[in-house]
Amino acid sequence: MKTYIISVLSIVIIAFTSCTDVVNVDIPKTDSRLVIEASLDWEKGTSGNVQTIKLSESTPYFDSVVYKKVVGASVKVINDNDGTDFIFIDQNDGTYTIADFVPVLNQSYTLEVIYNNETYIAKETMTPVSDISNIEQSKDKGTDTDAIEIKVFFNDPVNEKNFYLVKFLERGDVLPLLGYDSDEFTNGNEKSFEFEKLEDKKNKIEEFVPGDIIDIKLFGASERYYNYMRLLIGQSEGSGDAFSTIPAPLRGNCINTTNKKNYAFGYFRLTQSVSKTYTIL
Amino acid sequence: MKKTILTLILFTSFLYQASAQEKHTISGTISDISNGETLFGTSVFFKDTTIGVITNEYGFYSLTAPAGSYTLVISYMGYDDIFQEITLDGDKKLNFEMVTTSEELDEVIITSEEIGHVNIKKPEMSVSKLKAGTMKKMPVVLGEVDIIKSIQTLPGVTNSGEGTSGFNVRGGAVDQNLILLDEAIIYNSSHLLGFFSVFNADAIKDIKLYKGGIPARFGGRVSSVLDVRQKDGNNKKIGLTGGVGIISSRLAVEGPMFNKKGSFLVAGRGSYAHLFMSGLEDLKDSKVKFYDVNLKTNYKLSENNKLYLSGYFGRDVFNFGKSFESSYGNLSGNLRWNHIFTDKLFSNLSAIYSKYDYELTLKSSEFDWISSIKNYNLKYDLKYYASNNFKLDFGGNIISYDFTPGEIKPTSSTSPINYTKLDDKKAFETGLYISAEHKISKRLTAQYGLRYSTFSRQGGQTLKNYRNDQPVVYNEDLEIYEEGIETGETVYKKGKTIKSYGNIEPRMGLSYQLTESSSIKAGYSRTSQYIHLLSNTVSVTPLDVWTPSGKFIKPQLSDQYALGYFKNFTDNVYSLEVEAYYKTIKNRLDYIDGSDLIGQNTIETEILNGEAKAYGLEFLFRKSKGNFTGWLAYTISKAEQRTLGDNVKGPGINNGDWYNAAYDRTHDISITGIYKLNDKWTFSSNFVFQTGRPVTYPNAQYQYEGLSIASYSSRNANRLPAYHRLDISATYRPNNKPHRRWKGEWVFGIYNLYARRNAASISFTQNQGTGVNEATRTAVFGSIIPSVSYNFKF
Repeated sequence: MKTYIISVLSIVIIAFTSCTDVVNVDIPKTDSRLVIEASLDWEKGTSGNVQTIKLSESTPYFDSVVYKKVVGASVKVINDNDGTDFIFIDQNDGTYTIADFVPVLNQSYTLEVIYNNETYIAKETMTPVSDISNIEQSKDKGTDTDAIEIKVFFNDPVNEKNFYLVKFLERGDVLPLLGYDSDEFTNGNEKSFEFEKLEDKKNKIEEFVPGDIIDIKLFGASERYYNYMRLLIGQSEGSGDAFSTIPAPLRGNCINTTNKKNYAFGYFRLTQSVSKTYTIL
Repeated sequence: MKKTILTLILFTSFLYQASAQEKHTISGTISDISNGETLFGTSVFFKDTTIGVITNEYGFYSLTAPAGSYTLVISYMGYDDIFQEITLDGDKKLNFEMVTTSEELDEVIITSEEIGHVNIKKPEMSVSKLKAGTMKKMPVVLGEVDIIKSIQTLPGVTNSGEGTSGFNVRGGAVDQNLILLDEAIIYNSSHLLGFFSVFNADAIKDIKLYKGGIPARFGGRVSSVLDVRQKDGNNKKIGLTGGVGIISSRLAVEGPMFNKKGSFLVAGRGSYAHLFMSGLEDLKDSKVKFYDVNLKTNYKLSENNKLYLSGYFGRDVFNFGKSFESSYGNLSGNLRWNHIFTDKLFSNLSAIYSKYDYELTLKSSEFDWISSIKNYNLKYDLKYYASNNFKLDFGGNIISYDFTPGEIKPTSSTSPINYTKLDDKKAFETGLYISAEHKISKRLTAQYGLRYSTFSRQGGQTLKNYRNDQPVVYNEDLEIYEEGIETGETVYKKGKTIKSYGNIEPRMGLSYQLTESSSIKAGYSRTSQYIHLLSNTVSVTPLDVWTPSGKFIKPQLSDQYALGYFKNFTDNVYSLEVEAYYKTIKNRLDYIDGSDLIGQNTIETEILNGEAKAYGLEFLFRKSKGNFTGWLAYTISKAEQRTLGDNVKGPGINNGDWYNAAYDRTHDISITGIYKLNDKWTFSSNFVFQTGRPVTYPNAQYQYEGLSIASYSSRNANRLPAYHRLDISATYRPNNKPHRRWKGEWVFGIYNLYARRNAASISFTQNQGTGVNEATRTAVFGSIIPSVSYNFKF
């Protein structure tokens, strides 16, 4: 719901301001940090044994190198209940993988990364998610009444606080669209995420046309991860306009226990997910 | 209380009358001969004496002098002086009507209270006054005359750029301005998110902006008071004023009523639908419009009693295709009773109502969102003209507030939304004040006073309790601020006080006249603010919600010191005003990183208590007479804020370091010139230069979820490129024969003459097509904006 209210303002801004251009800006630089993308996603109906954790380093904002892989780190995840260690193997390309991880719903896990003699720790709980109940395609319900949009429906469980994350990616597109929502105002009801592409000739973005294939992934998120993603998505969608919040340093859940100031970017998340593929009719 | 006031009156009258020889008082009202509008700020004085006074908001004056013969001079910029021989041998009541110097449709009057015979002595400082006539001569965007934009050409006043609501005074926030329209509080001063102001210039008589040295009769905001007065309406003849522009049209009707014992004014303004939208393919089903109605009537019951009724209603409506509808606006009304007790004691009683509400219907997610704030205000103000050397203002008011921060309603049976209502809040605010204007010696004049304000947050709601009384806690591991842990709740019954505050607010001003034409002034004022606009965005939005002080939110307290030098040159043709100010604000709300204010019932979990300070130097050089008039305003200033963790622990916001307020502008230059070529053509121009707005730029990026994520540095540590712009306009008045009632004029304007693409914002995003990081500048106006409008008067 909140995302909609925020988007109302950005639409108003778009309406008033048709004049945008890309400019050169001198920006500050800072030392790089470790980035931990430890997304242990457990697709419903699978074993969830195969998992990958990505380690990289941050780079200056306009650097030509956007992905600086980190190799030689030791990575493991511990089941906080029984103490089982899950060791992730360094693939020397920035990814660390495992083939026998055992996911348990609502189970708390600890991530431990040792890199450059510094230890990073994070704790998170495997969060369940509802099934996608339906996907609808329409034209007249979105912002542009002539453009196709799809709506992904799911049922929110009653009597608990739930947080959701969604990822849409049209095949062939470079960037995914991320969305977030909570059940604060919609507890126990059928909820939905909408995906509509508006034409943007400058950046060669086209509306959906029949035959377009969209991969949809819905995640259950912990409250803290939801808050993190709410900020991350907000800031990545263009901070700085008059109605956006003042951007702030994003702090994930990875603490550096050796040198607190040298905390890591990224997040250790454990989410159950459901995936669907939809072809525009 | 009543007794105290009475004693004070008796005491002062005793003090200043008993010693004197036989004295008499002359009092009355000064108005414009053409329409009967009373004139506020007119100098009334006895020639070659120091005995003089300025008319009040209702055009009333009262002068007391020893018996004798005098020449009474009545002087007001833009009007012919009146000289009247008076033999003061008893108390007299004399009303005067002044004749305008020119027969123009809207006389160009650039006036400051500082200019004139008496005013330089007045200890009032940090005050700017603009007449509607002046504002109408300045070049404006899309030909729409705008009070809020006009005051931004004065030193110390800025805003966050085109298309942002409100204005900032001396490094203060938008919600720290008390905006009054005929005494009613206006909660949102902008139409269309700041492109236009809510004030229809045809209905406005004059405005006065107090940037500091706020008189004791005002209270409730810590930065400024914008006092906007509506016209009373022509009591001589029926008149029509109007205009047709490219954005909106206006029409005002005014005229006498009740056998010329009263008059009325009704003014309406409306924009054309589909504004801005035509060119945008995706938004062709959309509508954006605004309209407003001003109303004023008055009725003279007797020589000493006059009633005024004024009202305002304004609305903005946004309609975007089938996805959403939004509308918001102010509503206000005020019934006033002017009563003159004696020729020395003037009083006004006001009963005022104001409301601001915001509505949003999201069709795609099937819900309505409504929020509002309203208040009733009962106010009694008196002015006692004790003697030539001593005048006393005193009075009080009580405001009752109702806050409805939000109600969320599903609009269909299939809506995913559950009905939710955020807690309504209630509060009372009172103020009692007494203030003296005291001529201590021939050269030294003082204005000193005291305001005592109270605020009491009323029950009728439930408040959460938190562990260790901390609604916000610092997570030491993750180094972030988070919501505190709830431990239960307390029910506060109706009629019970949740929390109350009281503040003594001293206000002081001194003026020392150095020479006939120059003076120095000094001022100190303490002000308090009990209600706050919750906004964690770069600029305020119409859906931001007002919230009262209470158990968790403390009132803001400001101390401001100012020092100034004032000089008139060459027969008052030129004037120079230089002012320095320093102000501090305690208890300025600040929002934790990632604060979530939308639909937030427990605001206390999102905020920390901070402080702010601002200081600066302002120059204003004007030329107020002749064919060429204008002014140059320059401000150099700094506005910062800081929020420490305090009892919540942790470093605070932005590591507890001072950081630039969003409205900090190091340099702000504004040049306005108006040249009257002949009776037909008048040209005007203004140039603005401002240091860019503080912003936060990224200092790194990293890959996450297939996206490049920007990591941001310290808050507001960077700046947008400088903002500058030149506007011009020309007014053409076809042969207006003096006897012809229909008078028309064409106003041609070009806004942003050299087509500067001033950055309203720079955002850092990935190119949707290529995924490459880029900095995208958004300019609200990237080209020249021509306009034409036709104004008429009948």
